[in-house]
Amino acid sequence: MKTRLRLAAVPFLSARPLIYGIESGVLANELDLIVDSPQGCVSLLTSGDADLALLPSVCLRTLLLDPGLDLRIVPGVATVRTTSMHASDDEPLLGPLPGSVSDWCEQHGLPFVSALWVGRNGAAGWQHAELLAQSRDFGLAHLPDIAAAQAKHKAGFAARYQAFLASSMTYRLGAQELSGLAALLDQLGRAEGSTVSVRPRFFDLAYTSTCEPAAARPRRERGGAAKSLDTLLAAAAAGERLAPDQALRLYTKAPLLDLGRAADERRQALHPGNVVTYIIDRNVNYTNLCVTACKFCNFFRPRKSPEAHTLSRLELAHKFSETVAMGGIQILLQGGVNPDLPLTYYEDLFRWTKSNFPLALHALSPEEISFISRLENLPIRRVLERLVAAGLDSVPGGGAEILDDEIRRRISPLKCSTDTWLAVMREAHALGLRTTATMVFGFGETPEHIVAHLDKLRALQDRTSGFTAFICWPFQAEGTRMRLADDTTAGRYLRVFALSRLYLDNFPNLQVSWPTMGPAIGQVALRFGGNDFGSAMIEENVVSQAGAVWMLSAEDIERQVRAAGFVPRRRNMRYELLAHPVAPPSATHTPPERRPATSAPAGAVSPTSPSTPARSLW
Amino acid sequence: MGAMRFARIRDKVCAGEPLDREDGLALFRHPNLIELGQLANEVRERRHGQRTYFNRNMHINATNVCLASCRFCSFARTKPGDEGAYTMSLDEAWGRLRKRLAAGDPITEIHIVNGLNDGLPFSYYTELLAGLKRLAPAVHLKAFTAVEIHFFAQHFGMAVPVVLQRLRAAGLDSLPGGGAEIFAERVRRKICADKCDAEQWLDVHRTAHGMGLRSNCTMLYGHIETDEERVDHLLALRALQEETGGFQCFIPLAFHPEDNDLSRLPAPTGVEDLRTFAVARLLLHNIPHIKAYWVMLGLKTAQTAQWFGADDLDGTVQEERIYHMAGADTPERLEVRELVHLIEQAGRVPAERDTLYNVLAEGEALRSSRPYRRPKPLRQEVEA
Repeated sequence: MKTRLRLAAVPFLSARPLIYGIESGVLANELDLIVDSPQGCVSLLTSGDADLALLPSVCLRTLLLDPGLDLRIVPGVATVRTTSMHASDDEPLLGPLPGSVSDWCEQHGLPFVSALWVGRNGAAGWQHAELLAQSRDFGLAHLPDIAAAQAKHKAGFAARYQAFLASSMTYRLGAQELSGLAALLDQLGRAEGSTVSVRPRFFDLAYTSTCEPAAARPRRERGGAAKSLDTLLAAAAAGERLAPDQALRLYTKAPLLDLGRAADERRQALHPGNVVTYIIDRNVNYTNLCVTACKFCNFFRPRKSPEAHTLSRLELAHKFSETVAMGGIQILLQGGVNPDLPLTYYEDLFRWTKSNFPLALHALSPEEISFISRLENLPIRRVLERLVAAGLDSVPGGGAEILDDEIRRRISPLKCSTDTWLAVMREAHALGLRTTATMVFGFGETPEHIVAHLDKLRALQDRTSGFTAFICWPFQAEGTRMRLADDTTAGRYLRVFALSRLYLDNFPNLQVSWPTMGPAIGQVALRFGGNDFGSAMIEENVVSQAGAVWMLSAEDIERQVRAAGFVPRRRNMRYELLAHPVAPPSATHTPPERRPATSAPAGAVSPTSPSTPARSLW
Repeated sequence: MGAMRFARIRDKVCAGEPLDREDGLALFRHPNLIELGQLANEVRERRHGQRTYFNRNMHINATNVCLASCRFCSFARTKPGDEGAYTMSLDEAWGRLRKRLAAGDPITEIHIVNGLNDGLPFSYYTELLAGLKRLAPAVHLKAFTAVEIHFFAQHFGMAVPVVLQRLRAAGLDSLPGGGAEIFAERVRRKICADKCDAEQWLDVHRTAHGMGLRSNCTMLYGHIETDEERVDHLLALRALQEETGGFQCFIPLAFHPEDNDLSRLPAPTGVEDLRTFAVARLLLHNIPHIKAYWVMLGLKTAQTAQWFGADDLDGTVQEERIYHMAGADTPERLEVRELVHLIEQAGRVPAERDTLYNVLAEGEALRSSRPYRRPKPLRQEVEA
């Protein structure tokens, strides 16, 4: 391995903070730097004269599509235009795109990643990523110097430059930034008339490294552990990272509304536009045959059961075209863990889906992926690569339940372990797949288990930024083989939910779970830290088999969101805002098919099935 | 609402000063739901600490035949022969109680609300009460809304005090708070033109209070009323309470849009429910209790309302018809241990009360020795 890394970087002011540590010689004995124009940097990278280049994102797409280059991204570090930029700092987009940066941010609801470090696969290791993060941190600590140098070099005021660098830019490649980058790459593709989706991959770093940005490192508590609850809540509301013991105190001691209010403030800071998003997708369970046999599940059928069934292509085609007709953009496809289905089954299914329907595939939870890997005796990464090649777009975060092996052994002994669940997610993120994360509580776990679960998710997110959203819900007990003390009522849900918003400071989105909690508490949870109303579901089979029977249309969702004081917007899986196809609701509301505006028939498969009394006990 | 306005309201609340109409409007429009809840919760905890009350009760809706055709109602049938119309014989009605007594159910209250049925003699009502009293002399009879009392007075040609005296002699102990809907004439004309007007409703309660009978009061919200009409309604209740002190409890009732003339309207959402509780707690400084009626709200919202000003969850309730016929998807009754669980899970202390809010048992005493198990779900039968 080369001892010195050769770097190329663009000369823009906005990029300066990333390279200032190198330029000023602090880290120069390990890194060589050439500053050149964007074209110059691209040439240096493609010719092999530079190992890594800091390139504008608008010139990345072509490079990423070049199989000869096999480019990877350095995680954690980028230059980003924030959504709250100062108007006078706005500028036209580079490249072939119309409009300005702020137009772009507003339209997509995501930050605009303007430049990031890329290089050939294998060109950099974790120690390099760490150096680049250090350089960035050094630059951030010396913004006045950077601004002064710029003022000297060009006409202008240092204070003005400094304000630009400090308030219109950020320098972290977090989860929202990854979504912004993906949205930009897709848009660039569309501008060229291409529908090929580019999924930028990261350098394959050892994920045990400590290259997460400084801002995300836990802060030491000043004045020992004796912070009052109020101080703790105020700090968390302001975005300070909570330590596990602090979270535990908040969870067990803070009054519900105090916790909720802090979470509400945090949500407001993360999503200042007052937008609450939702998606239209369909939950399709391709098989109910499952060998995992979790005690809390009422959906699965064992292999010998006459009711065990795997959907045919015809059944799937029917469901998929219905979804498209109802404005759906995605299929959430999950099993059953069915040992009769080899990897090729999924590859064929995905290819068939992609060539016949304009639908994204949010498919196969970690449990299914790890099962396929064991079945096929292939590494998890290889399974994921083949699924991605066949059309997999993202991975749902189901099956996490409580990430604690003792509890998992008790409730779902055959399900993948905590480490495996996290490993699948880590591999998926490294391949550029985005995923969600979940938690199901009410299995007799302790508050410590809940905090530990959140901590595991937050730690992985620090390294990958691959999670787009977190969703939690109480275990739905009805008819399952578990007779647990029911500890899962609304108060506990709101408490867990608000705590999650505060603890998961690196998760941009928190989805409320109205399918399990009902629309009323789902809506109230928007005031306890939630910024997403989930899915206008066309179908749901699993929790509805265990007593959760709610069903809301897009119109119902928009009404709930508005009544809570928010602006409803549709999104895709990466939380990019979509153009609004629905006219604002008229003054009167017509409940479709006279079903309750807030509830729906048990076991309904279509929103228009005849009404039977809906039921929700807890 | 500006932060200044809210701060002024907070100061008034802390000083125990009554809020005015403008304050009420500002609260209904306050964007920060949780801030509102926190303030209401302060008042609630100041008055009741961590206690949440409930009772062991049953409902009897003896007839759904009703002269009035209120547009929000899914319960009433206009004629005896209409589909779904029923009138219980006295023995049937008494039978409901006998069944509960036979089951060893220690109820302390019977809640009786009916349609305005012009086919029944006044003796039906007095005998209904007297019979129930004979069966269970200690059980409190909370019967007949002001609308029914007013109807009895008109229909049987008696003055309201006479009606009340005769019912009381037969066993009446207090009045429920139903039928208030929204006092505004504009709204009543549109949704319940056949019902007594605001003055008449208030006058029945004034008379009852004057005779030493206690009563409750309600507001039906979430249909066509404006914020102003809600505030005025609450202030009218407050004014009568100032005069008589006879109201024990205020119950906000959410409009349910199933199977009635107003089905085109959406039901109020969870946020609106909680907001109404909080504003009511803040405006009604002289009414001791705010009840979250779980039958109407659903258990989850009722549980959450305990943080937004409510200190009472009503009771075990059996055979509720009115809200269930309007599409309420709650069970038809709760066990005491379920209510206790619901309250404890909200971090409150359960207190079993009688109708007059004497505490009968509290906290640990209500815990059964068995660990809590979720009961088998009830498959309710909602009549089509």
